[in-house]
Parts: sequence; structure tokens; C-alpha cells
Amino acid sequence: VEGAAVDELEDWLRRDYHTSYRTACLLLGNRSDAEEAVQEAFLRAWRFRASLATGSDVRPWLYRVVVNTCNSKLRQEIPHRDRQSADFELVGRPSVEDIPTQIASSQDLLRALHDLPAHLRVVVVLRYYADLSEREIATAIGRRQGTVKSRLHEARRQLAVHPALQAHVSDDSKDDSEALR
Amino acid sequence: MIDEGLLSGSLRDAADAFEFPDGVTERILAASRMVAPESRSAGSTKAFHRSRRGRIVLVTSVAALLVTGIALSAETSSVSHGSAPANSAGLPAQYRGAGGVAPGLPVSGQKSSVSKPAAPIPSGAVGQSAKVEANGMVELTIGDGTLESALAKLTDLAAADGGFVSSDQAQFGGGSSASGTIVLRVPQINFQTLVTQVQRVGDATSVTTTAQDVTGQYVDLQARIRALEASRQQYLTIMTRATSIGDVLAVQSQLDTLQSEIEQLQGQLNVLSNETTYGTLTVSVTEAGKKQPPAPVSPPTSGLSKAWHDGVGGFVSGFEWFIRIGGPLLFVLLFLAALAILGRLAWRTTRRRMI
Repeated sequence: VEGAAVDELEDWLRRDYHTSYRTACLLLGNRSDAEEAVQEAFLRAWRFRASLATGSDVRPWLYRVVVNTCNSKLRQEIPHRDRQSADFELVGRPSVEDIPTQIASSQDLLRALHDLPAHLRVVVVLRYYADLSEREIATAIGRRQGTVKSRLHEARRQLAVHPALQAHVSDDSKDDSEALR
Repeated sequence: MIDEGLLSGSLRDAADAFEFPDGVTERILAASRMVAPESRSAGSTKAFHRSRRGRIVLVTSVAALLVTGIALSAETSSVSHGSAPANSAGLPAQYRGAGGVAPGLPVSGQKSSVSKPAAPIPSGAVGQSAKVEANGMVELTIGDGTLESALAKLTDLAAADGGFVSSDQAQFGGGSSASGTIVLRVPQINFQTLVTQVQRVGDATSVTTTAQDVTGQYVDLQARIRALEASRQQYLTIMTRATSIGDVLAVQSQLDTLQSEIEQLQGQLNVLSNETTYGTLTVSVTEAGKKQPPAPVSPPTSGLSKAWHDGVGGFVSGFEWFIRIGGPLLFVLLFLAALAILGRLAWRTTRRRMI
């Protein structure tokens, strides 16, 4: 029985660890916290796997544990210690010349993301990086689908007016944002 | 509004730049198999970065737990030593008897055919109502053919005293006296009453009762369970304050061990409680003696009746003689027939050769 349970954990790790880790990196802003958070989240999820209803999809539930662990760190640990430098200086970051159609600097995006409130940052990362549907995000954060939709809208609006991203947002979007403001 | 496609692509691009840590999946798998506290030492500690606050809380809680544990342990051991049932040295003088047997009750091995007065069960030892294991054995002799009714009567007695029959067994006939054994269990308070009543069912040839004061053992078990439950409560408090998965796993392991010990001791306490709640009386019942076969009727010694009996006897004797002689005679006839057949075959063979 123990062997089967460990096999289950291995399956989770093989399938979801990479995305979960990078999701945590985007949420927390640094690799050290992300590594610790995901490690804790997987072990916690594995320990409490019995609470997952039979036949339920593991992925949103796993993300829920990851998000909760990250939120816990954002609330309890990170604010109470010396501010770590976020890993914005990323290794192997593509240059503007390499991908001109992308937002010029991932560093700018990460800064803008980091300035979003945590509850908005979570939905943005889960939707646009982890590629979860609004329904799955609702499961992952324990809110209704309508709440997810409105938070996504608010997050995109705030990103559009963030100074670091002004250069990469279309003029139409700027006009929309101005109108909204 | 920022474009969704652009946001998605850029986020992936930014996320891809975060390199994966080495060996993290192996560390998670190892941690999943970890049994604290051994696996928390050495290399594995690196895997679990604890916050400073979490460490402080953990260290403080463990220190408090140790102090509480030592205090409770001291209390437990003092109770245990003071009321050990083996020598009952710590019991008040009025409850101290040879070999830990409560006074007023006969020691195992004593035999008597006389019913003894019911002994009062001691109470109040070490602030706890006395816990006494009472056992007894009664041997009864009853009239012939009354085994079933005696067993039924004993069953009724147990029921009337609020008890029950634990087991019974009976043997009828087979060349020896019918006998049976029945084990009765009644509430401790009615035990002596039952012993007295049982002796009236038949002729009691042996009565043995023993009483063992296990109050000390009972109190000791209770104190140990209380101490372990206090420790468990402390660990649960620590669990709520644990900030890393390493701490959670370590505390969980300790909780599992404590829970197991508590359940084990609780089981012992339940058994002891059951044994001290009910007294056990084994009654052995034996019928007085084997039924004698009817005496043979002696034949008359004179007259017509005697002639008739002699005639019948002569006829029977003659018939017996005929049967008795018939066996050897039949054997001789068969032997002669076999010889005749063989002789005839030999004669025929010889004659054919001559022809």
C-alpha cells in the first residue's frame, strides 16, 4: 500500500511539478521560496490525498494546495523577514531582439506582476501560465467562477496601466484603460 | 486592456527562465518516506528551511512538553510504586494481605465443605474504589439424574444476580457418573451471594475463592494514559504552530506513536475493568453414582416351575450343543468332499493315459 502511494506521488511530481514550481516562482517572485512552497505543497497534498473525492480531478486540487502554501508564505513569512531580492535577473531570459513580438522584458512583466495584489496575481498566473480554465481556477482558489472572471478582468486592467508595461500595451488598450479610470 | 495572448506568451517566457532546482523530486519522495526524527538530521535539514519564528515556537513547545512530561512521569511512577499489586506494600494496612490477596477471603487452595461468610470487598484504596478480581471454584455432588436441572438452576441463579453463563459443558452416561462444569460471571458485589447460593444446589464438597486486589495496577494504567494524553495534547498544540512540512511530519510521527500507546494501555484498562466488574465462579457438578444394573432373577429350586426351567434349559443346551458340534462336522464334510473330487480327477487322468 505504501509503495502504491509513493508511486502516486511520483506521478504527480512527473506531471505537475514543473508547472507548479514555475507557478510558485511567479507568485512568490523568488526561486528559494517557490522551491520550499512546492515541496511543502506536494507533501501536504500527498498526506491528505484521502480528502480528495474519488474521481475528482487532481490537478485543480493540487494547485489549490500550492496556491494556499504560497499565500501562507506571502502572508506569514515573507513580510516578516528582510525582503529578498526577487529573481528578476533571470538566467537565459530572451532578449528583445530574439522575440520582438513578446513583451520586451520579462523583468518588466515580473515587476508588474509582483505589484499586483496577491489575489489578482494568483488568477493571472493560473490562467495565463498554468493554463487552467476559469472553472479549474475557481476550484483552485476556492471561489466562484464569476469571482475568477472579475478578478482576471481587474488584473488585466491593472497590468495595462502599470508603468513598466506601458511601452508594450497597445494604444487602444491604453485608451480603454484611461476610459475605465 | 492588456492582450491575453501577449500576456500568456510573455508569462510563459518569463516562467521558462526559472531554472528547476536539482534533485528536488528525489528530496520530496525521500521526505514522503521520512520517519521523524531520524530523517530530519544531516542532509535532509537542508530540504526544509524553517522560519526563525517556527523554530522558536517549536523549541519552546518541545521544552514545555519535556517539562510537563517529566512532571507527569514522576507522578505516574510514584503512583505505580505505591500501589503495585504484587506486594501491595503501599496499600493501607487494612488492605494488605499475604501475596497481595485481599483480607477476609480465603487464599487459593483452601478447601472447605462449609459455606464461608461473604467477605466485604475493600474500598477506598489510594483514592480510588477498590478494584478486586474475584474468582471461585465450587464442586457439587447432586442426586442421580438431576444434572440438567442442577445446571438450569445454576443458570437461573447467575441471571438472578445480574450475571450470565460464560460457558458450560456436560457429560452424560458413558459408564461413569454424569457430570458437568458451568462458569458463571456475576457483578462483583453479588459474587459472595452467588457462592453461597450455589452451595445449596447440591452437596458442596469443595469451595475455593480467591480475590486479588488490582487497584494499584488500575490506577497506574489510568495515570499512564492521562500522562500520554497530556503529551498528545501538547503535540497537537505544536502541530498547529508548525510552519514547515518537516516539523509537521516529525510531530505527526510522535502523535502516531502516542496514539498507539494510549490505545494499548486503554485496552489493558478495559480488560482489567471487565475482570474487576464481574466475578468468575466455576461450578463443577457430579451426580452421586452410576446406576446399578438390575439384579438377575434367581431360578426356583423345586417343583413344576423348576422342571419347566430345567426343560427349557435342556432344550437350549441341546441346541447350543448342536450348534457347537455343527462347526467341526461341517469342516470334516467339506474336507472329505474335496478329497473325493481330487481322487476322481486323478482317476480320470490315469484312465485316459492308459487308453
